[in-house]
Amino acid sequence: MKLRLSLLAVVGIALWFLPYGLGPYAIHVVDIAIIFALLAVGLGLAMGVAGQINLAQVAFFGVSAYAVAILTARAGFGFWTAAVLAMVATLATGMVVGIPALRMQSHYLGIVTLGLALAFTNWVTNAELSGGAEGLGGIPVPPMFGIDLFSEYLYYYLELIVFAIALGFGMFVVRTRIGRRMRAMRDDALAAGAVGVEIPRLRMLAFAIASVYGGLAGVLYAGLIRYVAPETFSLANMFLLLAMVIIGGRQSLLGCVVGAVGLTLVREALVEFATYAQLAFGAVVVLMVVFAPTGLAGIPARVRRRFSRGQSALARAQLQPFAPSDVGDSRPESLAEPPPDLVASDLVASDLVASDLVASDLVASDLVAQRTSVARTGAEQAEAAARMILEVAKVTMRFRGLTALDGVSLAVREGEIRGIVGPNGSGKTTLFNIVSGLYRATAGKVAFDGEVVSRKRPYELSLLGVARTFQNLRLFATMTVRENVLVALDRSRTAWAWRYPLWPVGVWRGDAWLRAEADRLLAAYGLSEFADVLPSALPYGIQRRVEIARAMAGRPRLLLLDEPAAGLNADEVEQLATIVRAIRASGVTVVVIEHNMGLVMSLCEQITVLASGRVIAEGTPAQVVADTAVIEAYLGDARMLEAMT
Amino acid sequence: MQLFFQTVVGGLSLGAIYALVALGFSLVYRTMGLVNFAHAGVVMVGAHVATTFYLFAKLPFAIAMAVAIGVTAAIGLVIERVLRPLENKDFDLMLIGTIGFGTVLEALAILRWGATGTAVPSPVRTAPLDLFGVRVRTYDLVVLGVAALATVLLVWFLHSTKRGAAMQAVAMDHEAATAVGIHVGRSNAIAFAIGAGLAALAGGLVGPLLYVSPAMGGSLGIKGFAGAIMGGFGSIPGAILGGLAIGVLDSFAAGHFQGYSELVTFLVFTVIIMVRPTGVFGERTVSRA
Repeated sequence: MKLRLSLLAVVGIALWFLPYGLGPYAIHVVDIAIIFALLAVGLGLAMGVAGQINLAQVAFFGVSAYAVAILTARAGFGFWTAAVLAMVATLATGMVVGIPALRMQSHYLGIVTLGLALAFTNWVTNAELSGGAEGLGGIPVPPMFGIDLFSEYLYYYLELIVFAIALGFGMFVVRTRIGRRMRAMRDDALAAGAVGVEIPRLRMLAFAIASVYGGLAGVLYAGLIRYVAPETFSLANMFLLLAMVIIGGRQSLLGCVVGAVGLTLVREALVEFATYAQLAFGAVVVLMVVFAPTGLAGIPARVRRRFSRGQSALARAQLQPFAPSDVGDSRPESLAEPPPDLVASDLVASDLVASDLVASDLVASDLVAQRTSVARTGAEQAEAAARMILEVAKVTMRFRGLTALDGVSLAVREGEIRGIVGPNGSGKTTLFNIVSGLYRATAGKVAFDGEVVSRKRPYELSLLGVARTFQNLRLFATMTVRENVLVALDRSRTAWAWRYPLWPVGVWRGDAWLRAEADRLLAAYGLSEFADVLPSALPYGIQRRVEIARAMAGRPRLLLLDEPAAGLNADEVEQLATIVRAIRASGVTVVVIEHNMGLVMSLCEQITVLASGRVIAEGTPAQVVADTAVIEAYLGDARMLEAMT
Repeated sequence: MQLFFQTVVGGLSLGAIYALVALGFSLVYRTMGLVNFAHAGVVMVGAHVATTFYLFAKLPFAIAMAVAIGVTAAIGLVIERVLRPLENKDFDLMLIGTIGFGTVLEALAILRWGATGTAVPSPVRTAPLDLFGVRVRTYDLVVLGVAALATVLLVWFLHSTKRGAAMQAVAMDHEAATAVGIHVGRSNAIAFAIGAGLAALAGGLVGPLLYVSPAMGGSLGIKGFAGAIMGGFGSIPGAILGGLAIGVLDSFAAGHFQGYSELVTFLVFTVIIMVRPTGVFGERTVSRA
């Protein structure tokens, strides 16, 4: 930390004195480089951090620069008024361009954003208002308390300050809640939705943030060059920007900055050989994508991993450090804490706990259910025993010709451990996907705690209190175990993000609180040792447990486990049973799909048997194993079996 | 009414070109799940090679086209080989990699042929036909005919040859295809080569309709891509219909909005794709948990 601070100070001082060593042309190039760096940070946030392919970043830049030009030169506004209006216009454009992201992703989004960017250049090239192909001049020098910003040296300081704030803000976002959720969404949108990340809003937010950076760059460009023309915002420059971000490292904002500054300087050095420069940029992008997908910024980590391969994480993992009994003991305690989204920093209470209490009263309505289940004592539990927490009524699911579920009904009592078994392809996971909102049932209803939830999205269900794990493990691959848990632990909504610009201290404090909570949870699940490791470095059994911890971090009332014992050894299966019992003891209802019959028999009070998309039996383990229909489904016709033996 | 048909007919020949571009996109996409943003660059290189051999080497138009197809097929093989490590892995990275390739192709074209561009005279020099008062350029008919022939050949290849069947298998499940002994890499390479060949066909045919220059790829590629998406990405009939639709849409936009035609085309495309992201023939993709 100290090292970093002193490094930062050195870089700051160097940048402050940089203009003294530069000639008039060099300072111009540096000014341009900073503008590109701003753009690259915005693109890095949208594409690298949030995973939204945004090929309209240069168009955002253009909207802002053109807005300043038109408002000052045509409408006679002052520079800063025009700048503010331009920022608003760019933000609005960003939101419009972001709308398609709600419906489509990756290449579809790429082509749509690219098309909209082309539409923008097409408009400015043709419209009289924007000066057509010749462009538009006559933008005034931005007034600044008597500082003459006509001088590109002095303009440099304006840019530097804006850039430093923008970069710092971007890095702050990446490291705290919103950024963490964006990274989760990038790594695995499905799993992110299942732990309560509001995918649609977050995608819009990503575009909004990218457009704000584009807007800042546009305003600075307009003030610096005081003339705008269509070719500045062309596709060629979009691809140049893309090359900057990819070569620098899209997932690291500092990498984006390095890429932007580096490529601007290289382009300037090769200005006589522009085509060769283009050739080189293209070739380097291809090489980077194939050999160093994380860009220049990712190289140190790759080198480190190569050196330490096979030692650190894996060797430690073999130590088997679990303390299974911890789970039951410490869970209720941590559950008793108020939900972390209520660290209401806006209330500015010196006492954190007090502020939590006030806040939880304020937002009590949507959390009342969650809190009652959390606070439920043994007596209350018995009282609620008859209550159904999950009711599936005549649910049918068809995929084109295939009927995966055919009129399935089942009801799960609160506080029960329900097993769902059945041969492969009997529709168990489809049922989970419907209950957790991934699929929308063709017919039938699903009710959670009396409320019909058949049409709700996964994140809405997660916020209501449904958590799940996945058959094939869906951990966020580029996030550490702690971050995986943090994403689920954070129950705040996207609207919470207003604190970022207005009350960042609150964001920071809330994050510290979240971290402490995450560490407590990880300790309870015996995962403390792996907190800073990427999931992929861990053995399968530990990854499974991380997924359960992540699901429980959201304080659910209903936990769906999809084949939690698959791939575990006997020892680990036993630990799993302990964990599941402990989870139930803390008041959470558990529904588990499992093929390991020994586990199901010993764990579950009630078992539902599915075959070919229908419920063929339901009852206690003893009843179910005696059922002829079940024996037939698993072993074929019983009489035939007898005949054979 | 006559104007309406005239606009439709005018849009169809460019639409046929977009359809060929879309076919190339779709073929590569369905086989290996790769969205080839370099496709536009390949179209442009194909156009230049065809023009060079037709105008300067004075070869017959058909032979110039054949040479162009050969050259671009080779380029396709190179692109596939370089990006092979990313196949079936990271979608977004592949996409960016092909954008990089597109940049390289454009730079190479500028170095080889210059940035200015060439006008190509039509190889068919008969007067336009008059069909019920609608003027139809004979070259437009050639374009439509060649596009139709290429489509028929492609469908025949995919459905009636062993190699084509292998490619279909890879498209459905590349792991299962490997398990039954199909060389997935080779199959992908062939898909890429055919896709690039189709691009050259589109580029060669579009020469006499537009101006051949290194910058021509951008708009052609994006509209072809838009056509592929509109028809349903990965679907052969979808690519044809989508391409033709974009052509006609473009033609109407040009008629009504002149300079703003691109703006209108892309706005309409965005709205259509928002309403129906899977296109007309697209498969509904199910996210598996």
